[in-house]
Amino acid sequence: MQEVTARPRTAPEPKPKRYKSSSELKKRLWRNKLLYVMLIPGVLYFIIFKYLPMYGLIISFQDYKPYQGITGSEWVGMKHFSRLFTEPDFLNILGNTLILFGMNILIYFPIPIILALMLNELRGTFFKRFFQTLVYVPHFMSWVIVVSISFVMVTMDGGIINELLAYFGFSKINFLLSPGWFRPMYIIQVIWREAGWGTIIYLASIAAIDPGLYEASRMDGAGRLRQVWHITLPAIRGVIITLFILKIGSVLDLGFEHVYLLLNSMNREVAEIIDTYVYTAGLRQGQFSYSTAIGFFKSIVGLIMVMTVNKVSKKIGEEGVY
Amino acid sequence: MTKKSFTLLLSSLLTLSMLSACGGNNNNNEAAATKDPGASTGTNTAATTEPAPAPEPEKPTEIKIMLPLNTTDTPPDTIKTEVEKLTNTKLTYQFFPADTYEEKLNSSFATGSLPQVTYLKNQTTFLQMKEAIKDGQFWEIGPYLSEFPNLNKLKPEILNNTKVDGKLYTLYIGRPLARQGIIYRKDWADKLGLAAPANTEELFAMAKAFTEQDPDGNGKKDTIGVVDRNELVYGAFKTVSSWFGTPNNWAEKDGQLAPEFTFPQYIDTMDFFKKLRDGGYMNQDFAATSKTDAVNMFTSGKAGLYIGGSMQDIDTLNKDLIKNVPDAVLDTHSMVAGPDGKFAQWMIPGYNNVVLFPKSAVKDEAELKKILKFFDYMMTPEVSNLMYWGIEGTHYTVEGGKAKATDNKELIEREVKGFKDSVIGEYETNGMYQSLNVLPGRIHAEELVLENVKVGVADPTAALDSATYTAKGVELQQIITDATYKYMYGQLDKAGFEKEVENWKSRGGAQIIEEYNAAYKK
Repeated sequence: MQEVTARPRTAPEPKPKRYKSSSELKKRLWRNKLLYVMLIPGVLYFIIFKYLPMYGLIISFQDYKPYQGITGSEWVGMKHFSRLFTEPDFLNILGNTLILFGMNILIYFPIPIILALMLNELRGTFFKRFFQTLVYVPHFMSWVIVVSISFVMVTMDGGIINELLAYFGFSKINFLLSPGWFRPMYIIQVIWREAGWGTIIYLASIAAIDPGLYEASRMDGAGRLRQVWHITLPAIRGVIITLFILKIGSVLDLGFEHVYLLLNSMNREVAEIIDTYVYTAGLRQGQFSYSTAIGFFKSIVGLIMVMTVNKVSKKIGEEGVY
Repeated sequence: MTKKSFTLLLSSLLTLSMLSACGGNNNNNEAAATKDPGASTGTNTAATTEPAPAPEPEKPTEIKIMLPLNTTDTPPDTIKTEVEKLTNTKLTYQFFPADTYEEKLNSSFATGSLPQVTYLKNQTTFLQMKEAIKDGQFWEIGPYLSEFPNLNKLKPEILNNTKVDGKLYTLYIGRPLARQGIIYRKDWADKLGLAAPANTEELFAMAKAFTEQDPDGNGKKDTIGVVDRNELVYGAFKTVSSWFGTPNNWAEKDGQLAPEFTFPQYIDTMDFFKKLRDGGYMNQDFAATSKTDAVNMFTSGKAGLYIGGSMQDIDTLNKDLIKNVPDAVLDTHSMVAGPDGKFAQWMIPGYNNVVLFPKSAVKDEAELKKILKFFDYMMTPEVSNLMYWGIEGTHYTVEGGKAKATDNKELIEREVKGFKDSVIGEYETNGMYQSLNVLPGRIHAEELVLENVKVGVADPTAALDSATYTAKGVELQQIITDATYKYMYGQLDKAGFEKEVENWKSRGGAQIIEEYNAAYKK
């Protein structure tokens, strides 16, 4: 603090980016030495687990053979990328991926926000905690369990939903095997499992809003809805946008397990996504180069999306993630 | 202010990095825990591959063995110590979880750290390794086999199935050639006055009766005939298709090898299942039913026929079924004649895994022979019983020349199972005890397994190579699998199915046909 106050106020100097002498920098580094030491594990983590593995992307330009290694494998240029783009099903798979992603953004994304606003309106700590816990729980179930539960509920051989349909005189519906039902089932399961968990960050940022704002608005005669609209929502706007940008980054990354469990021969035309395709075409047959090429493609698309959205968000006057 | 925000930034960065570091470290620890044995081997291998003086029988041979583990924990040394005593070896077993074994195999291979003895995981990993085998990365053992009296007993026809380019590189872990058949509710059949189905028509009639005639006698129509799952090979389809006379994957047609789905019998089988499903005599969602769900349907007493799996599974199915339906009786059956009155059963190539000897770890012929000597010992009844059944009196007892495993299943799981899956050969060749069965259906199953082989149909491509198949066979097969299900569900007609076969051909299938035929003629 002394340094800052010691500077004359009249000189609106920019933040001191350079130190006058290296000894001053050293002194500063030395003074915060413990903090820097504590930084080391984190930096090492990113170098070892995030940056070094990028070296492996090289194999997407090779015909990689494990026993010849990266140095010994033959270079083939863009062969694996062009194989992906000329694959007869590629457009279909990409389309399916984008549609599911779109559903995630349009249908799923707003739900945790709405849920958080609703939870926030609950009065009484006990009820609030109780319902909060209740909506978190599904997140801790694996997709295998979620999909199995749905299977038991919607199967045509005695599933409760089909039994109810039959009881009320409707004809049974083949939820599991009809292409038309795949997407609704998918998004319902995503919402059921993730919506509660998604409220955590929103609830935390709502909790940080100055209660004085609400008091003042009440004095001015604002009702509950007005308060939500004029205070709560604007206050968490930054968080919403940040999460939105992060979500966009995973555009082609819908999570393999969930879709793979729902996928079957009858709904493949709408259910095959890039991740499941990588599994059947790449990993099950040990085609490392091809799967790496697809992974690379996914990451690049994700990167472009994040940068675009970030830029747009800054243009319209919001903060970006970087 | 500057300093404050700087500190703030730093501490938030710090928190973040601590968090991620913690996460990372956790993973790391887990990874380290599983990979530890591997890491230590890297160095150990280097130490042991020092050329030891060859003929010195007193000194135990040191051997490092890498193999998949189908249980959760690495077994203790109980069995290992005994094996070492019997074979005069010093063994280092590196067990890796079967779930991630391919990964371990690939990474060890890529880093040149495979140990002297490397078990693969299954036929698929073997297929993937073929290229490296051709590349000369592993020892060819064919020429040495005759020097070892016990190894020489291994079945030539199965050895032949594991050859690569006509040369033998591997020892195999044997499995019965054809264990598949029907496990069915004998109490239901008896009640309805039905005998075990002698042909496909009677099979259909049984499924129908099990659905419509209230075999469980509760006055409700709540049973079904066949329960099947989303699996064309190990589910009901392939087994029933072989009863209809469909070839096992490939067969000669007009003097050329052709895939099974170009044969009319394949269509007949699809029609059979279509009729079963349309009539409601099998589970409607079979294309989306997992094995667990299918087994549950059977063991809860809802379904009467479980087709296609190993008939030896009757023990487990029976155990779970009588918990729910105490007076249920199960039996096995496999002799179902096709429409032409002939019996047939598809066969696997007779092994479920193989062992390889990497040149990177086994330095010379002398060392290879020492290791083969160990496997020669393993093919004696003494050692194979020890590894397969455990220690007599502790893990099993012998009754009437057969082994009866102790009721303490956890003990076997913990101490024996890890080694059990590594025994070379089968009881005919290594002389180990057969298992003592008490359940009549299981005893029947063992007889049927022998009967099955008599009418067995082998896959002519088992020992053949097709580069295109290795590269994208699995991916292409998906086209046929999807089309088969769509046909059975009535979404494709015969012309539509044939169009999909053409699609398969145009995307690489034609090349596969060509390559197999070229290899077949040789």
